[in-house]
Amino acid sequence: MSPAAAALPSAARDAAVALGPLPTAPATAAHARTECAHCGAALERGVVSGAEYCCAGCEVAAAIVKGAGLEKYYTDREAPAPRPGPLATGWADWPRESCADGTEAIWLRVDGLRCASCAWLVERAVAALPGVAEARVSPISGRARISWHPEQVGLDSIAGRVAALGYRPRAAVDAGAPDRGLLLRLGVAAFSASNVMLMSASVYAGWWDGMAARETALLGWASLAVATPAVLWAAEPLLSGAVNAVRHRVLHIDLPVAVGIVAMYVHGIWATFHGQDTWLDSLTMLIALLLAGRMIEQRGRRRALEAATALAGTAPRVARRLDGDRIVSVAAADLLPGDLVQIGSGEELCADGTVVTGGGQIRMALVTGESEPVQAGPGTAVFAGTLLQDGALTVRVAHPAADSLVARMAAELARATDRPTPASLPDRLAGPFTAATLVLAAVGAVGWTLADGPAEGIAVAMAVLVVACPCALALAAPLTTAAGLGAAARRGLLVRSGEAFRTLADIDTVALDKTGTLTRGEPEVVSADDTVLRIAAGLERGSVHPIARAIVAEAGRRGVALPVCLDPREEPGFGVSGLVDGVRYTLSSAGPGLVGLTGPDGALGTVRLADTLRDDAARTVAALRARGLHVALLSGDHPDVAARMAAHAGIDTVIGAATPGQKAAWIAARRAEGRRVLFVGDGVNDGPALAEADVGIAMGGGAASSLLVADAVVIQEGLAPVIAGLRAAESAAKALRGSAIRSTTYNVLAVLAALVGWINPLIAALAMPLSSAMVLAGAASVERRVRRGEAT
Amino acid sequence: MSALLFLLPLAIVLGGVFVALFLVAAQDGQFDDLDEDARRAVEEN
Repeated sequence: MSPAAAALPSAARDAAVALGPLPTAPATAAHARTECAHCGAALERGVVSGAEYCCAGCEVAAAIVKGAGLEKYYTDREAPAPRPGPLATGWADWPRESCADGTEAIWLRVDGLRCASCAWLVERAVAALPGVAEARVSPISGRARISWHPEQVGLDSIAGRVAALGYRPRAAVDAGAPDRGLLLRLGVAAFSASNVMLMSASVYAGWWDGMAARETALLGWASLAVATPAVLWAAEPLLSGAVNAVRHRVLHIDLPVAVGIVAMYVHGIWATFHGQDTWLDSLTMLIALLLAGRMIEQRGRRRALEAATALAGTAPRVARRLDGDRIVSVAAADLLPGDLVQIGSGEELCADGTVVTGGGQIRMALVTGESEPVQAGPGTAVFAGTLLQDGALTVRVAHPAADSLVARMAAELARATDRPTPASLPDRLAGPFTAATLVLAAVGAVGWTLADGPAEGIAVAMAVLVVACPCALALAAPLTTAAGLGAAARRGLLVRSGEAFRTLADIDTVALDKTGTLTRGEPEVVSADDTVLRIAAGLERGSVHPIARAIVAEAGRRGVALPVCLDPREEPGFGVSGLVDGVRYTLSSAGPGLVGLTGPDGALGTVRLADTLRDDAARTVAALRARGLHVALLSGDHPDVAARMAAHAGIDTVIGAATPGQKAAWIAARRAEGRRVLFVGDGVNDGPALAEADVGIAMGGGAASSLLVADAVVIQEGLAPVIAGLRAAESAAKALRGSAIRSTTYNVLAVLAALVGWINPLIAALAMPLSSAMVLAGAASVERRVRRGEAT
Repeated sequence: MSALLFLLPLAIVLGGVFVALFLVAAQDGQFDDLDEDARRAVEEN
């Protein structure tokens, strides 16, 4: 450990104060490292000879990694580590479970895990703490299960170590297990299906070889016994789905399926008593197939739910309330308007309210998308879930936790995910299907009863009900959508719900936000004099402000060696000053996109910065237009700036100087014209537009509030995933249409065959899996279609 | 064929035992995260 980090008393303190500039040493010859050995941030040239780390936080994190013997992390990782930020505190009060063996355990959500090695590192670093009994971190779900001996180690130290490594621990709101109901039901249904099928195969063999009536009856009764739990318990989600659909007077593909299930089972009981052939093998297979389809669908939906609970988890659940001169720990949910709460450095705010005393820097990214901290003082309105980076506040609570902005955002999201959407193609076919099936079954029953008697009538009616059961059609939507969602996710677009994904295929208008979407969202130096740049970069070295980073990066690109800056002073909202080459310089804002350098003798020059177009912006717009989509740019910037950007990107419809409300209104107007609008945005106040659009896509790394109302999130750099998502949605829609046509054709042909008496239980048991296989092939074709689309 | 009278119920009971074991395992969280342990197995050192 270098003297810089060793001088600081504890890892916890280090992480909290890590963002300040390092003590400087005279510049010497350029050294080998150009990037921080821990977080990968660009190291300024010639600052500290042999420096390996960009800040004390990274140095501490690296010391923890080395101290625990986990250097393997640096060679295995696929992405650089996050830079350690302020430390979370107050963990001592977090609710945890007490286990029988005297340990305590908690489910955590760990933010910032970028690859499997990150999870490995957190897991090992926590497990290396004395007193930790078990630590398991999953990079896939971002969840951690940690148990420890409370007499040896506290949750504060555990959470502190995670934070010191640069990851943010949060309490998982939905602690515990995911819903296992469908899996249990699928297990039972699969058991029933396979065993009934075996016994039915014996019965069918008896058709040719002969089988005593006693054995046939035994197999029949055994089949009924095994099929019963599948119908009465496992099929419950399918049947209740149909009942719900009827109650809400909507058509759903579950309805004809449920009719088929009930008919087959009731007939099965009757036929077993009368020693006749049953359809129980087809019935149990159908239940198992449909439950499998359900489970695939449910997995996708769970991700959307996790996003909602993640948001609710951003606000702490414990607050320190001031009761007179005492400080009491209370649940945040119990806070009342008018209560005074204390917030310490590095803590997230537990309630919305107004600052009464104290001050500090608050990171408002959750609310505004602005990554730069905001200065708060008495009178400032603050929000639950935002982060006090440093300082201390006493806040008067404005409203109960349930009404806080973050809670309302979470509620909004939950509402958005069950917003009524166009029913899938199979659902639209459900009505005609049910009606036609019932009518044809009645026709068959009456016709055959008149011709050959009631036994034949019942047999034919049952055959019609069995083969008309649209099992394949009911599987088509979940399987095809899941395949499409997977294809989009592999290309960088995570879509939250199947409904949103299906809507994506019908989009005809694309509205793009400017900053952070069409552009990088970070300033770049456009023009600056080398001398001015050198001094400016010297002053800004060590600052995490986006403008400072841009200036330092540009200096690095030009190969300008950074000078040493002594006595740096940062005045929030004004600028920075410091001694360079023995002269005091000041760097401050000189208008939009312009930073001015002032020396003792007055202004020396300026650095011009601008937000630049993404590399693939023009290509993406061209691809969107080639798909026949109408493309528009909605920007809050000055109309001239917006128009210039639009011209560069090849967009002809531009709305400049648009407020968030106006963006949403523009989208609402297009929707009123009957257009289907996709909005792609990020950051500041795009929430309303994202929610208003038929489909809202948020650029990853934007404001949390936008990420949370969006239907989909781009998780790769650039706009290409948007095109990939549209292509996947279109491919899935085509595949779904094909599957619907094929499976419906199967049902129609099979019903005709049943009506003329050609269908018996054996033929039905063979035909049904064939029709489901067609749907499976359709779902498998989605990826192929997407690839073909990419090739052209 | 009277063996069937004895073997068939036995088979169903045995099958039922395995289903019960599956239900217990699933309730215990055995199948909650299928990717995690697979990843762990190849990455371990």
